[in-house]
Amino acid sequence: MAGNFWQSSHYQQWILDRQDLTRERQIDLKVLTEEEYQKLMIFYANLIQSLGEQLKVRQQVIATATVYFKRFYARNSLRCIDPLLMAPTCIFLASKVEEFGVISNSRLISTFQTVLKTKFQHAFQQEFPYRVNHVHECEFFLLEMMDCSLVLYHPYRPLTQYIADLGQEELLPLSWRIINDSLRTDVCLLYPPYLIALACLHMACVIQGKDCKTWFAELSVDMDKILEITRHILALYDLCKSFDEKKEISTLLNRMPKPKTSPSRPPSQGPNGDGQESQSRQ
Amino acid sequence: MQKYEKLEKIGEGTYGTVFKAKNRETCEIVALKRVRLDDDDEGVPSSALREICLLKELKHKNIVRLHDVLHSEKKLTLVFEYCDQDLKKYFDSCNGDIDPDVVKSFMYQLLRGLAFCHSHNVLHRDLKPQNLLINKNGELKLADFGLARAFGIPVRCYSAEVVTLWYRPPDVLFGAKLYTTSIDMWSAGCIFAELANAGRPLFPGSDVDDQLKRIFRLLGTPGEDTWSGMTSLPDYKPYPPFHVTTNWQHVVPKLSTKGRDLLQRLLVCNPSGRISAEDGMQHSYFADLNPAVKQG
Repeated sequence: MAGNFWQSSHYQQWILDRQDLTRERQIDLKVLTEEEYQKLMIFYANLIQSLGEQLKVRQQVIATATVYFKRFYARNSLRCIDPLLMAPTCIFLASKVEEFGVISNSRLISTFQTVLKTKFQHAFQQEFPYRVNHVHECEFFLLEMMDCSLVLYHPYRPLTQYIADLGQEELLPLSWRIINDSLRTDVCLLYPPYLIALACLHMACVIQGKDCKTWFAELSVDMDKILEITRHILALYDLCKSFDEKKEISTLLNRMPKPKTSPSRPPSQGPNGDGQESQSRQ
Repeated sequence: MQKYEKLEKIGEGTYGTVFKAKNRETCEIVALKRVRLDDDDEGVPSSALREICLLKELKHKNIVRLHDVLHSEKKLTLVFEYCDQDLKKYFDSCNGDIDPDVVKSFMYQLLRGLAFCHSHNVLHRDLKPQNLLINKNGELKLADFGLARAFGIPVRCYSAEVVTLWYRPPDVLFGAKLYTTSIDMWSAGCIFAELANAGRPLFPGSDVDDQLKRIFRLLGTPGEDTWSGMTSLPDYKPYPPFHVTTNWQHVVPKLSTKGRDLLQRLLVCNPSGRISAEDGMQHSYFADLNPAVKQG
């Protein structure tokens, strides 16, 4: 659904402001520092990325899944649903919405188990504790929480348009990678995708020493916003320098707020009560 | 379910049963579409997800409105605005006669709904009388977006089995994999003829071969000169060179000259030659359209 971002649910319901995010995170930030919270979000984004790559889905699906994940926790505490269950659920839902084709749930779970064993052994020593019915249940909560706003706009497409206009194809790989990195920050919740694309392109210009000042000047976009986005991404790079995931993640995961119920509970006693209808919107 | 009181079963949709129901608080009548969640692997069916996420973005008077999505243990319920009947049932009830002004009004609304979808880069892909809802104010609404898709990103391979045979354009019947908005415009043409003939389908083919023969018998067998690329389509096979002998006046006797002109601009074998929904709305056939319909 291109070209109608301004009428989309993404723009109308899901461009949040800084205060929204801070307010919703208060519960988690009683237990974790802002920096620890960010590190956990980076970790789960990496987990989604690895799972997506292992399943050989397109980057578009991975990006959509990552944004779903961030939307959920922008409105809920980490203790509401275990992010370890939410991560594969987001890939599951995103692959259907982006019409990648349905990934069978059993393949999803077995692949995720493989990813956890081979790449995240340092973080999870135990077996993945969830089953198909948990993923289905979690998918419901995710849908409901997002008010069924499933169509997303990503910076990739505006990026390719801007680069075509600029006529500097050599900027594409680096700008694209910076967009992938930006999924580990809050910018996808805070700014329209075209601005994120421009900020990433601008960063790529600076890094590769291309002078695109005139081109940017002629765009007449809000350069302050572009600088804000740039600051978010630079802060991520700073944080990553000091983040030794292998060493730190176990401690962080231990301190992370946990769901009260154990994953083995029967689905009929889910957070939704005793099987009553719940509503996405009244 | 507390919020809605189920009244009666209306029908079976692509992926579940549809009920008429009443909102207990507001007394508003709605249509509930139950999505069965079988214990299979898929979770929420992707056709239902597609419908939910597209209708969430497409808010227009000629597109059925999705009010709400209810979740419960083993099912998902989509709450739609209620329409009295679909176009197929309307045909059954009108005893072989539809007022030309009603034909014009329905056709205009169909094009307006399509123009909106297409401007949002959404293809319906499954237009047929059963998927067009009519309410008691004579408003027509596009429904059943289970096969629709956003076509923003060029995807080369779409599933072949999408459009009901009778409303399927020749390019799709020849196995074309890259659909564009033209797929819906062909279906709109078939529906236009069916409206003009008060419910007699234009090309009621029994299989792909029969379907193509019926089309070519009416429109003439296209050649590379009028449709370049046709012979390289995946399922292309040569058909006898039917010549156009049909008089459009016999095909749609009750339709005006201008209406026949619009119909012929929709029913073009070469997909790139079909008129767009936006341009169709500007056609002179609609010059004397009831202004109330035009303003909606």
